Amino acid sequence: MTSAPIHVPVPKVLAAGSFRALRRELARHPTGAPVILDCHEFESADALAVARLLRIIAEGRAAGHDVRLAHLDDAARRALADVDPAILEQDTVPRRHPLEVVGTQAIEAAATAGQVRRLAGATVAGLTRPFGAEGIKWDRALRQMALIGVEAVPIVVFISLLVGVVLALNGATQLRQFGASIFIANLVAISTTREMGPLLTAVIVSGRTGSAIAAEIGSMVISEEVDAMHTMALNPVRFLVVPKVLALILMMPLLTVMSNLAGITGGYAVGVLGLDLGSDAYLSQTVQSLFMSDVTTGLVKSVVFGVIIGLVGAHRGFAVRGGPEAVGRAATSAVVTSIIACIVANAGFTALFYYTE
Amino acid sequence: MSTGATPPRLVVEDLVAGYGDTPVLNGIGLTVDAGEIVAVLGATGSGKSTLLRCIVALLRPEQGRVLIGGRDVHGGRDERDEILRGVGLAFQDAALLNSMTTAENVALPIIEHWGADEDTALMLARMRLARVGLARAGDKMPSELSGGMRKRAGIARAIALDPALLLLDEPSAGLDPTTARAIDELILDLRARTDMAIVAVTHEIASIDTIADRAVMLAEGRMIASGTLAEVHGSTDPRVQAFFERRLVDDGASSGLVGELEWKT
Repeated sequence: MTSAPIHVPVPKVLAAGSFRALRRELARHPTGAPVILDCHEFESADALAVARLLRIIAEGRAAGHDVRLAHLDDAARRALADVDPAILEQDTVPRRHPLEVVGTQAIEAAATAGQVRRLAGATVAGLTRPFGAEGIKWDRALRQMALIGVEAVPIVVFISLLVGVVLALNGATQLRQFGASIFIANLVAISTTREMGPLLTAVIVSGRTGSAIAAEIGSMVISEEVDAMHTMALNPVRFLVVPKVLALILMMPLLTVMSNLAGITGGYAVGVLGLDLGSDAYLSQTVQSLFMSDVTTGLVKSVVFGVIIGLVGAHRGFAVRGGPEAVGRAATSAVVTSIIACIVANAGFTALFYYTE
Repeated sequence: MSTGATPPRLVVEDLVAGYGDTPVLNGIGLTVDAGEIVAVLGATGSGKSTLLRCIVALLRPEQGRVLIGGRDVHGGRDERDEILRGVGLAFQDAALLNSMTTAENVALPIIEHWGADEDTALMLARMRLARVGLARAGDKMPSELSGGMRKRAGIARAIALDPALLLLDEPSAGLDPTTARAIDELILDLRARTDMAIVAVTHEIASIDTIADRAVMLAEGRMIASGTLAEVHGSTDPRVQAFFERRLVDDGASSGLVGELEWKT
């Protein structure tokens, strides 16, 4: 049995307010019965009003209503005659169940993990072949070392120096109360070499290099340069990723050493010039407080951070789809993800070294 | 081959491919022999470029095979790379590596696959560039080249390794008539001097009539015509006729919404 049709008048002008009111009214009616949008008052001259009418019809159909039109004037007929019926099928965005959204995201996360694993595998394979026809592109690696390492020295030194000063000043306010100002040297030396040096360097290099890697590879993806490499039987990972990751592996420890020295110099400046601790006493205290393991721990971390920054940047770059906006998003995502990953890895290392020492 | 017969340079068998859930190609078959120029025709969105992507293994088909010189290009990574060394693809927008000069772009596959030293490879690259009329553009960066020059540089890179199979994606689209004609002449010249098999994806009718021995026409991912140029021209399919006569296809589907939506008591 067919239910009696429900008549819904369409107002004369379908502006934003009346459009919302009409959608609300349609949603109130039970599904099953035909809904007739009575257009005898509707003045449909402009395209926006017609588009709003079509959107109401598409939404109504998606919700299960059999939506029809009645009393169309000539202008409305002309406007609708140009429209392909398929537009009603394309108009609505299907609503997804929250569980489906979670499931889709889990599948995407697993796929991303698989992509990173394959990228890491291909990079390691490239790094293990230093020479020969399929070997490392040393010219590219050297260029990357200059870009990633040499050009980052001023900013790494500057920031680390200031952080060393800040550490010393903050330590001084506490330690002075106990007459233990000389231990500022210990505080600065140990915290810089074990934590601040590698982490600060990683944050700076993520910002400079991680974003650059993602942007460079992403631009190459959208301009089909990566596809062109595939069709020339050239391995993009060997050309684009291996030189960068190698440069990061070699440059991160060197930058970290510079960061350490700059941080300790900042603490030294505060101790000697601000707190009158004496140059020899400060240096001697610094040397006594440090163990070789403090320095090597930081250097090991810095290598891992370098690998993380390189792989995250490259993965984000290769994942770019669309246009220039996607390249910008990839660069931002590379920085955020690599900083988070480095901090998580740092926490893991710190816990590991704490319990194993 | 063990039979002694030379396999066709390219065989596409019953190809079905798409992106995600969107099918683009459905049951495409194509054979190209040495010394032959085959035009793949079709309107924008008909699946021409997707076919090329399947041929060079940038897209894995859901069904069917692509054989180049008798070997399956989707067989395995090492085999694919070996096969692709004998294939040149000139992209629609050239896809030159923007961080290298034009000559370095052309020299790249020569260095990597023929093991040439850089200076020798650059010399050969300049010879290839001269072949496409870009003798003096070797030191320019891709961004300094015009659209037509970039296309020609893309072709120079595609022929760098004397491929047995040359694929051209819209080689003369968007070019002025003189430059388009020059590219057509270049394609004919390449065929005349070598036994290169050439597949040109295009919708430029003037170019098709100039260069093609045979043609296949795609519409909505299916092959609607195939054969010699005269046979395809003579097809009774209205979509083929509309293509060559440059008119819209009246498929009767655009009757509008009025009939469907109007409530009749």
